[in-house]
Parts: sequence; C-alpha cells; structure tokens
Amino acid sequence: MGATFVVLNQRSNMMKTKQTIAIIGATGSMGTAIAKCLAQASYRLLLMGSDENKLQNLQDNIKQLNAAADADWLLCPIDASWEADIIILAVPYIAEKELAPKIAAVATGKIVISISNPITADFTGSLLPDHTSAGEELQQLLPHSKIIKTFNTTFAANFGQPVFAGNTADCFLAGNSDEALQQTAVLVEAVGFKPIITGDIKKSRTLENMQILLMQLGIKNHYNWRAGWKILHD
Amino acid sequence: MFEVLFEHIDKKITLTKEEENKLTPFFIPKKYRKRQYVLQQGDICKYIAFVEKGMLRSFQVDDKGNEHVIQFAPEGWWIADNYSFLTGSPSSYDIDVLEDAEVLLITQTALEEMLQAIPVMERYMRILMQNSLISMQNRIACTLGSNAEERYQGVLKALPNIAQRVPQHMLASFLGITPETLSRVRRQLLKNS
Ligand SMILES: NC(=O)c1ccc[n+]([C@@H]2O[C@H](COP(=O)([O-])OP(=O)(O)OC[C@H]3O[C@@H](n4cnc5c(N)ncnc54)[C@H](OP(=O)(O)O)[C@@H]3O)[C@@H](O)[C@H]2O)c1
Repeated sequence: MGATFVVLNQRSNMMKTKQTIAIIGATGSMGTAIAKCLAQASYRLLLMGSDENKLQNLQDNIKQLNAAADADWLLCPIDASWEADIIILAVPYIAEKELAPKIAAVATGKIVISISNPITADFTGSLLPDHTSAGEELQQLLPHSKIIKTFNTTFAANFGQPVFAGNTADCFLAGNSDEALQQTAVLVEAVGFKPIITGDIKKSRTLENMQILLMQLGIKNHYNWRAGWKILHD
Repeated sequence: MFEVLFEHIDKKITLTKEEENKLTPFFIPKKYRKRQYVLQQGDICKYIAFVEKGMLRSFQVDDKGNEHVIQFAPEGWWIADNYSFLTGSPSSYDIDVLEDAEVLLITQTALEEMLQAIPVMERYMRILMQNSLISMQNRIACTLGSNAEERYQGVLKALPNIAQRVPQHMLASFLGITPETLSRVRRQLLKNS
C-alpha cells in the first residue's frame, strides 16, 4: 500500500504541463464534489452544466477554496470534451447514453470516466442484466475512447472527508487501458481516496453492484451516506 | 476536424476514402486556448501535434529567462519536440498557443499502429522527415551565414503572413535578431518595394 502511494505521488508531481479535465454535469452532487476536490490539485477544470448561475457559483466557490485554482465553465458538452484530456461524465446512467454519441468524435483517444450506478428508481436492484454494466455499455458506445469506471463506489457526501474510523476509503477503478488506469489512479488519489485498480472494464459489473448494495444497506442501517468501501489487509 | 490534415496528406500521397476513415481514430482531437501550454520544458513530449486551426509555437528559455523561439506552427504544420518524442527524455522546449487552436495529437504507440494499418502513410512520414531535415539544415545555415534581411525574407517565404500574426519580439527571437534590427529591416524592405 505504502509503495503505491509513493509512486503515484511522484508521478503526479513530475508532470508540469497541466491536464484539462472536463466535468460534464458539474453542478450535480457528484460533479460538484469532484470539482471541489480536484481544484486543490494541479489540474485545469472545465465545468460543464446547463445553468449559468449555478456554474458561476461553483466557479466562485472553487476560487474561494483555492485562489490559484484554474477553473472555467461552459454550457456545451462537446466543446468541454474537445478541450479536455480527461472527461468525467458526472451524470445519470441514462444521460451517459445521450451524451456518448454527441462527444464521440472529440473524445477519441481520451480517458472518459463513468461514475454511474444504473440503479432502479425503487433502489431494489440494477437496471441491467448480470452480463453487462454501464461501464461496458459506454465502452461500446465510445470504442475509440478509454472508459474508466471509478468514483461510482464513493458517495458525494464523503468527498473532502473520505476517512472513516481512521481509514481512507478505497476507490476502485476498472478499464481496459493500463496507462489510462494509472493516470486515473493519480487523479483519484488527488481527490483524496485510495485508488485500487481492479481489472478490465468488465469489473464494472461488480463495482456497480457493490454500490447498489451499499445504498441498500445505507437505507436499512441509516448510514446517512457516511459509508464507504475499504479492503482490510496486512 | 481533419480537413487541413487530409489536404496536407493529399499534397504528398493519395489516400482512399477507406484509408481516411481508418486514419482518424489514431488522432486525439484537442482544442486549446491562447496562452495555454501544450508542453512544458522538463515533461516528456508524448505527442506530435498537427495544427488544424490557430497557431502554436515552440521555444526555449535560457538561463537568463530569455525566450528563444524555435518554431511557429500555424494551420497545416506539425510541431513537437522530436528529440523528446523519439527518445522519451525530458523536453528542453516549451510549446504554447499563440492563437486559439484546434490540434490533432498522436502518440508514439498510435503512430506505430497507424503506420501498420495504413502502410502508404509510411511514405508521407518519410517525406515529412525529409522536409524537417531540410528546414533544420536551412535554419542552421541561416543562423550561421545569412544577414538579418535574408533571414527575414526566408521566413516570409515559408510563413507569408507571419509578421501580421505574431508579435514583433517573437519574430525577432525566431530570427535571432533584436526587435530593433527587425524594425529596421522591415522599414528598409518597405522603402525598397
Ligand atoms: N450522489 C452520489 O453519492 C453518487 C455516488 C456514486 C455515483 N453516483 C452517480 O453519479 C451520477 C450523478 O449523480 P448525482 O447524485 O450527482 O446526481 P445529480 O445531483 O442529479 O446530478 C446529475 C447531473 O447530471 C446532469 N445531467 C443530467 N442529464 C444530462 C445530460 N443529458 N447532459 C448533460 N448533463 C446532464 C445534471 O445537470 P442539469 O441539472 O444541469 O441538467 C446534473 O448536474 C449518477 O450516475 C450516479 O449514479 C452518485
């Protein structure tokens, strides 16, 4: 565990050229949480949403948190994705499908992060059959992009304070490109979670169902969104 | 998004429609805003960039903090720190954006895969390399031998409207002369014309 942290840190410190991250759905719960955490790190942020006032407020908020933060907002998901090195789709599962064909041409070769959990409205289970996942579906829709499933097992409420009983919550990653997984792990760490690479994009099935389970348990046991996953090991 | 690249390729080789379609997924399309960095000195140059729109430049900063412009890349030009790109060693250049730009980036892995998938592109790349060698040799010869006026006329031949598009001090830096000398040369040429 220690060793991974050191290596990731060194890599993130070494790059001087700022990466641009587009957050599509930046004014939603997850988009805002991710944006505020990333604003503390050395990234250039492009906040995309549909409401100018909310976007301006978010940008002001970010500047208050870190005067040196490099953040801009815009209304067009295509322009945001075109300018980005990494695209975070902080939107519901259904919206991923709507956005994919729009951004496909400008997302070629880029990391596209899927954070969605395709849960039914009544929280009883997944909208998808066992043999697929939102992550895999997005990879099919964007065959020339590198889809990484991550941030789907972390609640928006816990960004900025991802420590539970002394343990930093794990944040799992799945995707088909090793290089993209490594780069995204640096980003996950910058946000404050402990990155754990699980395997190829098929692992999204497990990751999405893990969070559906955690939501169900949260409701049953009144975790009040203060809950996360942690692998205990020696 | 690929119009200028296809035009550029078309001047040197012929691609079928099918080959054109095969080509596009190897490139990362990226928009940049004026003053943004594409590459900062010390980082590894992971891409070569083709400029579809706007203008990029590469430059080196010396010990005293002076900028020395290596290359201007307006639309239709390729730009990278080739040494860093090919050897994987840290770049000694910065590349930044002089005019809002639309760029196509290609990594070394994607370049290799592209050349495998579309063998005729090998010829295009060879011609590019030859041209780059020629212009590099010209640039050295120019710096060693030519006077300010010859240098200025040389750059106008390669980049006809460069004087209107970049600040004087950058153009002077590219030519390896002072801004004052550049003004003098321009006034002189105007008088003669
Ligand atoms: N909340 C959590 O704790 C949590 C944890 C893990 C994963 N997730 C996942 O994160 C995603 C977002 O959840 P959330 O809780 O942040 O939801 P949310 O607060 O409702 O935010 C969703 C955002 O998506 C945007 N959006 C919706 N459709 C869009 C479209 N077609 N194009 C562009 N933007 C669109 C909305 O923007 P407008 O309002 O401007 O339309 C909104 O900002 C979901 O997939 C969810 O499963 C959430």
